[in-house]
Amino acid sequence: MTARAHRRRNALTGYALLAPSLFGLICFLLFPVLVVLWLSFQQWDLISPARFVGLANYESVLSDPIFGNSLLVTLAFVLIVIPIQTGLGLLAASLLTRGLPGSLVLRTIYVLPWICAPLALGVVWKWIFAPTGGALDAILGTRIEWLTDPNLALPAVCAVVIWTNVGYVTLFFMAGLLNIPAHILEAAKLDGAGSVAMFWRIKLPLLRPTMFFVLVTSLISAFQIFDQVYALTGGGPEYRTDLVASHIYSEAFQLFDLGRAAVMAVVLLAILVTVTVAQQLYFRRRTTYDLSS
Amino acid sequence: MTSAPEPVRRALRAIAIYALLLVAAVVTLGPFLLSAMTAFKTPAQFAQQSSLAPPSPWTLDNFMNILTGPAEFGHAIGVTVLVAVFLVVFQLLFSILAAYAFARVDFPGRDALFWVYLSTLMVPAVVIVIPLYLMMTQLGLRDTFWGLVLPFAFGSPYAIFLLREYFRGIPQDLIDAARLDGANTLDILVEVVVPLSRPIIATLILITAVSQWNNFMWPLVITSGNNWRTVTVATASLQSQFNGNWTLVMAATTLALVPLVALFLVFQKQIVQSIAITGFK
Repeated sequence: MTARAHRRRNALTGYALLAPSLFGLICFLLFPVLVVLWLSFQQWDLISPARFVGLANYESVLSDPIFGNSLLVTLAFVLIVIPIQTGLGLLAASLLTRGLPGSLVLRTIYVLPWICAPLALGVVWKWIFAPTGGALDAILGTRIEWLTDPNLALPAVCAVVIWTNVGYVTLFFMAGLLNIPAHILEAAKLDGAGSVAMFWRIKLPLLRPTMFFVLVTSLISAFQIFDQVYALTGGGPEYRTDLVASHIYSEAFQLFDLGRAAVMAVVLLAILVTVTVAQQLYFRRRTTYDLSS
Repeated sequence: MTSAPEPVRRALRAIAIYALLLVAAVVTLGPFLLSAMTAFKTPAQFAQQSSLAPPSPWTLDNFMNILTGPAEFGHAIGVTVLVAVFLVVFQLLFSILAAYAFARVDFPGRDALFWVYLSTLMVPAVVIVIPLYLMMTQLGLRDTFWGLVLPFAFGSPYAIFLLREYFRGIPQDLIDAARLDGANTLDILVEVVVPLSRPIIATLILITAVSQWNNFMWPLVITSGNNWRTVTVATASLQSQFNGNWTLVMAATTLALVPLVALFLVFQKQIVQSIAITGFK
């Protein structure tokens, strides 16, 4: 077989193997993104025909205080959830990597909520938080309206998400901690480092790649939280838990203002692309600890 | 400094650590156990006694009610299993084909295309749900099986990425040897590549099944009524329909969670590993 025939055969094989997934990618991922961009310039309620309105949707959404509030709520959510779940995960991981018996069983228990349906867990927590017949107020012996009190609703939603994610974060920090070569820890011990100094000066810096991975994945998923909000609060009370993904959903499928929903989707996409690209750039120029020698 | 001898200090510290870890375990498992307990209570007991009291008498009425009553929860379980099985099979099949092309076939435009595949991982579900809904409506597939599965049936960029990494680790010698024996690309896939990739394929089967069972936003958008409702959508609508009727609602969440807990107990090692490999989402 000549080289050219070989190349042609490879091209044919390659694209034949790729055909189904490429079809799916174009029809159900790339084309929809274009449709969202197109929609963002239209006014459409699904009943009367779509009408081109230029930048009107952008003006309306970007000056809309309720959408601004939704972005702020999302920011507050991220700023509450990520530090707490990272801290708790780090704590659990450092307690679970001391070689105490039962550590692996406990780790398994902590991971359980992560694989469960967020919607079902959200409904379970809705019951736990319920003032009448709920579990939490029965335990505390009080009557607190966790999900309808404007000051408590967002912290309650955050608590559910943290509860779901801590095991996942713990898992990665455990792997990171167990990857630190023993000779480094022994050397630090010989130099007289106590366990606190050891954690802050040796382990934490060496965990930087893990920390980075955990922070980035948590950040990206925090911007997309939908199921728990749907089950717990529906965005209320007074828009206090109106996270951006859930706001986009209600704009599109409850208010049927598709043009405005599309603009919000474009804003969310822009935020996530920025986060991901920034992460890539940061990763590329970040110095790594070479432990091979 | 305290004057307690070293072994005592060490034992005290271990006890403190265990206490902390056990509290965390109780907080983690508590919601599962309490909600399952509620599902086995009679509405009368639930109304009269503390919500923390164990069921007395135990009853299966809540489960019977939602499985066979107008909520048709049993039907929703059937739909969800069907969707999950269908997507496990087709997503995996088409992902394996694509991953092999990216890993082992040298064709023009390969690296650029792979980059396009990867970049679609950045697109969040809520962004494409709106256009997908419009497309499925145009095709007349709203509230049908095909509407539920079609957008996800042709492979997943994430699975393709993971499989490609794995396929690249398969020694080229094995593939060359098979080719010398006259095997074509499909033979090689079936006889060499797939058998050698069992661990990653098992991981992907687990991930796909779990994430389809858990999926909520797309089924919520594309289905209406009971015909093609999945378990998560049925749970959500039970909650709004029987607001405050917690014994029924907790029976629904228990049914939605039990298969996952069971799967987790059986495959805990594999699941924990696959989360570590893939991030599992």
